[in-house]
Amino acid sequence: MDSLTPTQRDRGLQRLRRLTFGATAGGLIAVVGASYVAASSYAGKSSSGGTALTTTATTDTTASSSSTSSTSSSSSLQSTPTAPTTGSSGSGTVTSGGS
Amino acid sequence: MPVALKSWKALGTSVHVLCTHDDTRPFHAGAADDALEAASTAVRDVLEDVDEAYSRFRDDSELTQLNANAGRTIRISPLLATAIDAALRAARLTDGAVDPTIGRAIRVAGYDDDFSRIAAEDFDERGRGMKLRAWRVPGWQGIRLDRRLRTVWLPRDVELDLGSTGKALAADLAATAAIAAAGGGGVLVSLGGDIAIAGEPPSGGWRILVAEDSRVRPDGDGDVICVPGGGVATSSTTVRRWSRGGAVLHHIIDPQTSLPTSGPFRTVTVVAATCLDANIASTAAIVRGEAAIEWLTSCRLPARLVEEDGTIHYIGRWPDPASVAA
Repeated sequence: MDSLTPTQRDRGLQRLRRLTFGATAGGLIAVVGASYVAASSYAGKSSSGGTALTTTATTDTTASSSSTSSTSSSSSLQSTPTAPTTGSSGSGTVTSGGS
Repeated sequence: MPVALKSWKALGTSVHVLCTHDDTRPFHAGAADDALEAASTAVRDVLEDVDEAYSRFRDDSELTQLNANAGRTIRISPLLATAIDAALRAARLTDGAVDPTIGRAIRVAGYDDDFSRIAAEDFDERGRGMKLRAWRVPGWQGIRLDRRLRTVWLPRDVELDLGSTGKALAADLAATAAIAAAGGGGVLVSLGGDIAIAGEPPSGGWRILVAEDSRVRPDGDGDVICVPGGGVATSSTTVRRWSRGGAVLHHIIDPQTSLPTSGPFRTVTVVAATCLDANIASTAAIVRGEAAIEWLTSCRLPARLVEEDGTIHYIGRWPDPASVAA
């Protein structure tokens, strides 16, 4: 095998540097692109949003407030699991009306 | 199952506490009464805290101080933070139909004192010669509540009124405190017809007479439903009425017009997982007017709506009144 001239060796090294730079840059672009796609597809959840209410609840001196804090964070109005029934049974009648 | 009842007045309305005895504990004569006494004391304590935190008619309440300091960041108690948080959630979930920034609008319209004192004055004398005025509702979006730091900032033109959601929240808090104090069994707390239930209900559920006015006797005529848990709330334009400039007004303000609502429904009752959610839905339904039926249906909440002419609509899983046994 013929030995390389200094000029040929320098050209070879320059080509190798370009290839290394290109591969690194390409990899970086691929990682950023994949991250963007992942972030767009799944926004994730913030842990701080839930702890704000917890903090309010734990600093509360009444146990009752803590239970309502969790209720008031619901993102929709909540219905009961069991539907009301007609008044042929039951006991302890009270009136629900305007006041 | 024995049920015991205790009633008194607080927050400008009637309070009823009902208790059942815990079947897993040894029964003795007066067991339900013992539970009732403990539950009632817990309810009184909660209502006193509520009155101090967010009464609109007390100069020394936290809410009054907060309204006087609009434009500044104020640190508030856990209870007031919970109440404002609940009011803002109500505004979000109803697209602003239930808005806590109606404070000045309802005061300008004439509801500027505890209603027992307004009602005690001569209806005509008070309203005669006084012009009906409206104050634009500024909107809830400008309120800044930091739940972690428990601070709140109100825009300078905002005056909060937590009346709509505040009473229902108080009922939920009181029921939770009452069942803890009673040590078991079941508890029902009614604040002026807004009802919260906790613990084990009596067999068949709690019987509730649905009326337009919470002062109607429970054994009166009308639709009766049985509810095992959660909350029931009724909003009505037929109560808390006064006059201004010849117009008869009521306490449910439409944030769009800044005046009492004038829609097709005069009374709406809703059953939900909490009294707060039931109250949010019933108040929003009155404000939304003709769109209320579609909205309540989309919320999947059982509801009963009464039109101005008395026509009644039953929504969702509300029981068919035709099947009620005599």
